[in-house]
Amino acid sequence: MTKVVEISPTTRHEGHSKLTLKVDDQGIVERGDWLSITPVRGIEKLAIGKTMDQVPKIASRVCGICPIAHTLAGIEAMEASIGCEIPTDAKLLRVILHAANRLHSHALHNILILPDFYIPGTETKFNPFSKEQPVRSVAARIIRIREIAQTIGAVAGGEAIHPSNPRVGGMYRNVSPLAKLKMADLAKEGLVLAHEQMEFMLEVIRNMQNREFTDVAGKQIPIPKTLGYHDQGVMATSSMYGSSSLDEKPMWDIARWKETRPWDWYMGEVTIDLEDPSYPIGGTTKAGTRANPQMEACNGVPTYDGQPVEVGPRARLATFKNFTEKGTFAQHIARQLEYPDCCYTILKCLDKLDTSGKVLADHIPQGDGSIGWAANEAPRGTDVHLARVKDGRVLWYEMLVPTTWNLPTCSRGLTGAPWQIAEMVVRAYDPCVSCATHMIVVDEENKIVAQKLIQW
Amino acid sequence: MKGMETLYSEIVVAGCGNPLYADDGFGPAVVESLQGLELPENVTVVDAGLGGPHFVFTLLNPESTKTLIIVDIADFGGEPGELRWLAVDELPVGSYRDAHSWDLTEPLQYIKDDIRIRILACQKKYVSAPEMVIGITDEVQRAIPGAVSEILKEIGMNYGTA
Repeated sequence: MTKVVEISPTTRHEGHSKLTLKVDDQGIVERGDWLSITPVRGIEKLAIGKTMDQVPKIASRVCGICPIAHTLAGIEAMEASIGCEIPTDAKLLRVILHAANRLHSHALHNILILPDFYIPGTETKFNPFSKEQPVRSVAARIIRIREIAQTIGAVAGGEAIHPSNPRVGGMYRNVSPLAKLKMADLAKEGLVLAHEQMEFMLEVIRNMQNREFTDVAGKQIPIPKTLGYHDQGVMATSSMYGSSSLDEKPMWDIARWKETRPWDWYMGEVTIDLEDPSYPIGGTTKAGTRANPQMEACNGVPTYDGQPVEVGPRARLATFKNFTEKGTFAQHIARQLEYPDCCYTILKCLDKLDTSGKVLADHIPQGDGSIGWAANEAPRGTDVHLARVKDGRVLWYEMLVPTTWNLPTCSRGLTGAPWQIAEMVVRAYDPCVSCATHMIVVDEENKIVAQKLIQW
Repeated sequence: MKGMETLYSEIVVAGCGNPLYADDGFGPAVVESLQGLELPENVTVVDAGLGGPHFVFTLLNPESTKTLIIVDIADFGGEPGELRWLAVDELPVGSYRDAHSWDLTEPLQYIKDDIRIRILACQKKYVSAPEMVIGITDEVQRAIPGAVSEILKEIGMNYGTA
């Protein structure tokens, strides 16, 4: 008989989300819904009437994890709308900043997922704060990779967290020859560590993939070979940086995107009737509690070709590198495979960078209201920003952030998983829920139909 | 940025908060003021936004960073705009909880024995979350010069450089 169990909130990611899961007698998910319960924000409305320089800065504040991706996608959406091509050296600095951001993010994600994994050859799961070897060395390596990435980002981007250097039309300033040299030294050091970390993580992930069971709260939970599989397809615009509507060959098609309502996708009202107080952290939702994912979801459901799609490292590798593995472990593996490319990309860009080259366009048009979009391949997937700019002011703005794409897709990937490891499926997407919280839904005539939940 | 040898220097001033939530933009606003000043080489000033826990607090190296000054709003029952220095143990549970962390622990608890942590808190008047409102209230805005002065004093008291 089908029962309903709920994990709320899910942990080890940014923002608040929950899992409402219909499970069979063996605890296997028959139907899973993963939804954002972070309160709705009104970034798109706030942007209207602001200058094209202000809006990317506003966009960068919607979450604490993704400011760099939102800054770059926001600025480039403005540039796409006004038709502004930026100088080569400005683009190189942006790519360096972007690659450094991905390097940092993947290392941070390692820390978040390691507690789900076993130290190979043992029955002990990782505690990233352990002072024992080999964990201590791994933690030190992760910290150093993050330091390197943040330092390179700070040099190229002006600041390490909220980059101050990128602007509409290019960058405020080029870097000095000394700074270029320093970034190259750091990237070379990072490359060695990135290879080591990738090899280490691949061993850890393959070890887990080959296990029959994992321990959750003292219980042996089977690991299906098809954990996290879904048939929703993938979407990616580049193996590294992204694309925009200014490109000769744009890699994203606005005509294939459609926003739908959460109540078309999520389950209706259910009563929780399976409870496990031993589930970490603090147990599952109490039996008898009512849940209504259709109404509680704070996220929209964007579709591409009529379906939600997966974005992120696996999507990038599947699209551009012939990567064919599927599911939770494939997502983890793909993310590790991206490690070295971050450093190679930084080094290649530095090699091309002319520190005396101009980094600001000679002419920055003010826009005629044309629509423009930019997709940034953020660490956790395609981050699409769309804008219409007229006379330097934003008429319309929309953000389609990676986790918004992944929330409904991952929901389908939960089917077949024991509910106790559903969070492992979620974490493989490296979710960032805060900025996934939006609720603008338009109908066929592009009329807003789902404003009622927006608390503006 | 200060040098390029290490990400964070001996003294780190981190402005925390979100300018999209009215008074919550206080920390980044103080940082903006500080960035306009000539500060000693051993001071890093960073606009941490919402990223303090995972971008700053968990990346500080006690061998190079000795003092962390956090600038943020708080609700300690004072008059709006009132400034107060707080210690880590005076913070309510959940402050600077790293949602991106692995067990909802608080990163400041991990580093407080190795790094001296001072929190300059400003009594908030209005925080709009989850609604987005840009603009700090007048009372909190007026506290910015005082906060800058407090931080300079804090830096100067220890190092005589301000």
